[in-house]
Amino acid sequence: MSLIVVLLLTLLTTSLAAFATRWLGLWTQRAVETVHLSGITIALVITGAIIGRVLQHETLFAVGRWLFVDALGAIFLGLVVVVGFLAGVYSVGYIRYDLIKGEITPTVLSTYYGFFSLFMFAMCCAVLSNNLVMMWVSIEATTLSSVFLVGIYGRRTSLEAAWKYIVICTVGVALGLYGTVLVFANANAVMARPGDAILWTEVMGHAKSLDPATISMAFVFVLVGFGTKVGLFPMHTWLPDAHSEAPSPASALLSAALLNCALLVIIRHAAIVSQTVGPEFPRRLLMIFGALSVGVATLFIAVERDVKRLLAYSSVENMGLITLGFGLGGPIGVAAALLHAINHSLAKTMLFCGSGNIVVKYGTRDLRVVKGMLRLAPLSGVMLLVGFLAMGGIPPFNVFVSEFLTVTAGVKAGYAWLMVVCLIFLTIVLASFVRVISGSILGPAPAGVARGDPSALTLAPLAVLLGLMLLIGLHVPGPVVQLISDATATVLATPAAMAASKGP
Amino acid sequence: MTQTDIIALLAAAVILPFLAAPVSFVVPRFLASIVCAASSALSFAAIFAASVGYTMDGKQAFSRDLVSVHGIAIFGFTVDRISVLIGFAAGLVGLLVCLYSVGYMALGNREHPEVGKPRYFFFMQVFVSAMAGLVFSSTISGQLFFYEATGVCSWGLIAYYDSPKAIAAGTKALIVEHIGSLGLYFAAAMFFVSAGGFSLSALGGMGPGAKTAIILGILFAAWGKSAQFPLHIWLPDAMEAPTPVSAYLHAGSMVNIGVFMYARALLAAGNVPHVVGAIGAIAATFTLVYAFFLYLPQLDLKKLLVYSTITQLASIFLALSLSTFGSILAFDGGVAHIFNHAFAKSLFFLVAGCLSFTTGTRMMPKLHGLLAEMPLVAIGFGTAALAIAGVPPMNLFFSHFAMLAGGFQASRAYWPLLILVGISILEAVGTFGWFLIKFGDAVPGPASPAVAGATALPVTMAVAVAALVTLTLASGAFAAAWMG
Amino acid sequence: MNGTNLVNSLAGLLILTSLLVIETRRPSRAALLYAVQSSVLVTIFVVLAYLTHSTQLYLWAASSFVTKVVLVPVILFGALRKFDTMVPLPSLMRVAVVVALAAVLVMGCSLIVAPLKLPAAAEFRPALTVSLAHFFLGITCIVTQRNIIKQIFGYCLMENGSHLTLALLANQAPELVEIGISTDAIFAVVIFTVLVRRIQHKLHSLDSDQLMTLKG
Repeated sequence: MSLIVVLLLTLLTTSLAAFATRWLGLWTQRAVETVHLSGITIALVITGAIIGRVLQHETLFAVGRWLFVDALGAIFLGLVVVVGFLAGVYSVGYIRYDLIKGEITPTVLSTYYGFFSLFMFAMCCAVLSNNLVMMWVSIEATTLSSVFLVGIYGRRTSLEAAWKYIVICTVGVALGLYGTVLVFANANAVMARPGDAILWTEVMGHAKSLDPATISMAFVFVLVGFGTKVGLFPMHTWLPDAHSEAPSPASALLSAALLNCALLVIIRHAAIVSQTVGPEFPRRLLMIFGALSVGVATLFIAVERDVKRLLAYSSVENMGLITLGFGLGGPIGVAAALLHAINHSLAKTMLFCGSGNIVVKYGTRDLRVVKGMLRLAPLSGVMLLVGFLAMGGIPPFNVFVSEFLTVTAGVKAGYAWLMVVCLIFLTIVLASFVRVISGSILGPAPAGVARGDPSALTLAPLAVLLGLMLLIGLHVPGPVVQLISDATATVLATPAAMAASKGP
Repeated sequence: MTQTDIIALLAAAVILPFLAAPVSFVVPRFLASIVCAASSALSFAAIFAASVGYTMDGKQAFSRDLVSVHGIAIFGFTVDRISVLIGFAAGLVGLLVCLYSVGYMALGNREHPEVGKPRYFFFMQVFVSAMAGLVFSSTISGQLFFYEATGVCSWGLIAYYDSPKAIAAGTKALIVEHIGSLGLYFAAAMFFVSAGGFSLSALGGMGPGAKTAIILGILFAAWGKSAQFPLHIWLPDAMEAPTPVSAYLHAGSMVNIGVFMYARALLAAGNVPHVVGAIGAIAATFTLVYAFFLYLPQLDLKKLLVYSTITQLASIFLALSLSTFGSILAFDGGVAHIFNHAFAKSLFFLVAGCLSFTTGTRMMPKLHGLLAEMPLVAIGFGTAALAIAGVPPMNLFFSHFAMLAGGFQASRAYWPLLILVGISILEAVGTFGWFLIKFGDAVPGPASPAVAGATALPVTMAVAVAALVTLTLASGAFAAAWMG
Repeated sequence: MNGTNLVNSLAGLLILTSLLVIETRRPSRAALLYAVQSSVLVTIFVVLAYLTHSTQLYLWAASSFVTKVVLVPVILFGALRKFDTMVPLPSLMRVAVVVALAAVLVMGCSLIVAPLKLPAAAEFRPALTVSLAHFFLGITCIVTQRNIIKQIFGYCLMENGSHLTLALLANQAPELVEIGISTDAIFAVVIFTVLVRRIQHKLHSLDSDQLMTLKG
């Protein structure tokens, strides 16, 4: 059996087993945590093996080429599983506090972990899919499987967030289906076998003979549709609500994994349309959406006082920056965008989990109430402090590198003025983060809150993420460089990459 | 000594303090300051050895790439007469300040009686590392990296006392410096587009358009670090920092990053378009006059020193800018002035620290008759004040003289520049008078009550002050000889 | 009337039924009307299958019958019947406006469809236009109705529209693809109804204006 199938089955089994533990009564908590932790650990190991194979310049196919992993897919698969693993480990520590506080019952615990793995399963399907329509089906499935994660606390606000999330995203993604179907219909008219016209790898090979008008229209649908899921302005309105109402590890999963999955679908379609009508058209659209998202999100970041909403807007901003990078194009732009996707995921997972520690400690997300974190919970405080600085683009951390690369790509593409504007926005973001640090992390601690950090399980994932961020910031590891450069070739559809991605 | 040895030593100078920095958090508190002093000593020793090696090899300038991605150099070291000179000064001042901190960050301090917290020594060492990295960097990407790193350190150190004022000052410093760094971001991106790489040496081969854009970007970043109008606003507030930090960051090293990067760019560019020199010179003159008038009314010794620092840096900017009109003397004088000023102004700040340590105040109206009560501090005060005033044989006299002479040289080709040089001379005369007055106020005569009640000075602080007095007296001749 | 015309006019009937679904007050009746609409859709599938000699489409028709005519209406009927007695919430738009909007949507969509080169659906261009307009009509329903139950129906209409598009353009796609899409749709409806019941339980209201405490 192919590794890809094993990975998917692992996640699906984990999910079902987690749901099933609800009937174990007193044993529920221990059983579900065991199932969850072993499931995500196995998934991590298998993913490691898959990426190892991709690093040998191999493209893996499975299930009649409906599933595949190339370098581009490997990056996003890695993100989903690594983020899922770390947020999954963090979950165990974090959700226990909810259990103690009585926010949730043990039954809800099984539901939470069940949907957690199901959500990961759906996201893995999305990044592994070679079938254009199944890509859509998987993205829709990510919405459906994460709605209850958003609404898990059953509070008025969380139900509201869940409702907005499912309504806006199903509508958006349904628009994306039109794009997908148009691509298929057009490819089907050109290509001999309908079974092939649905495969991305095959359509890429025939992209030059497709109809420009149809494919352009399809891309607009795809960009608006899946762009909703990416959280691009002006379709981003669900995102701050859903991210802030979900439990912190689920927020991390939404922000650091889900948004990228939808982005990958857009990038795959952009690669097709670049072949059919030339790169100018998709690049311009990506740039417009990306730059607008950066600008608008920055303004929200500057005024936001809820730490998780602040981070959510920062996700909009960073997804905008990544989209902008793809829009700027060229080898540097695409590489910068891919690297920034990785960097943002690591940093944002860390910050969302860290904001979970704030919630555990203070019972609120309001930054006007949260004070003196460093005194109260020194380890969480110092890691959040460093995390915020890193997310703001301070060296020697990873975000600095990719932001700088993006600016370089922009100047190279002849958009120096736009880059200056972007840099000003990034400065405002940094200033806002520093204000969070000054106001909530530094300074005297309030009376009446117990001192001490939350449990080790809520600290270890943060430390690991910080280590990874520092590592990439100091020197991007060889395998990552290789994946990015191979994936860049795929996105730009260089002849060598086209030959390599041909299936059996 | 081979070039590889020199590079290895410099790498050690950057890496050692960086690795030692986290140690501050795990050792007992009293040890953290010792670790800091030791690692900065090792770092300086490495720079010193590298400088000796460079001199013995006949001062052969060279660059070496260390980190490359896809064949593009991201980071490397340049060893030449300006990087060795400034690196030496930054390393030495760093060592002396870390030494001084051992005594200063203690319970005996009357202004801030507390043992230094780990993060003080952490940021201090990271700063020592970043400073060495920046000065010797051969690439603009390396400069950008360390530029931002020093910004964060300055934030951590300025906000150190955790008072709302200190936190606000730290935030302001970080943001304003980051705004400055936008120029560097831009310049680095332009650099890559024009040259396909980041090595500063490529600047010379570029067309005038790209050169102008890049150097102006660097100049903007330089204004941010070196506190030039309008990006100077963070520096006066930054006096919330512990005084050794002010001595090190705001006199001895960080504020020199700006002028140094500007000098490095001008040197690499060779033939610089005149528009760059004109913008640099006019902006510098403006800052010079502006800051001069602001320092006259200051009563807090540290505030006075801040505005004095801004004017000194402005005159260096002026000299460097004028050098683009064809005066090597102005350039050499400017670089020598960075070197000399680092010692003199650090000394002055450390003296201010000694006064707040022993008397609990920095307000000049309360400080009279130092010589009677604390001769070493008085000598330090006197040396520093006379040096800033530009009295011979103090070090700043020589370099300031060279800068002005270079200014006249440049004016020969373009007479309007004479106006700028004239303003600069007027400022020098004003400074001369003002600091002589301050010297007369503070040093001789009977001791004021605050001074009479002073406590004793710890040994490490005394050693640092004594060393800087010697350096302030001697560095002028050394710098002049070095720059040739 | 030949087969092509039949498909096109049946597609027109879809719009009519969807207007009824939007404007009906009682959720249980809307569920029944939705079943009617879905049977129209299934009929279109059958006719299309007959015209194109596609066995694939017969399968689609069969599975759509199961999911859209039976399953989804049953779920909706069962879950939402108890809300029949609630006081209806006013719509943001009057009936006449919604009808006019539907006409505008059809015209707008014909502009979108015009430049497309789709040999597979050349003769069904009107039906294609209608399917797209139907989709947007569903979105209109979601946006204009304050009652969140109506928003579910909006989703269902939208889904029917896109399903018709799929049948017109992608009827040669593997059967599994259609099953995937239908499965998503059923799960979506289930989740929608669960959420509606929870919201009603917590807020004692189905007014989407009550869901405005977060800032978006």
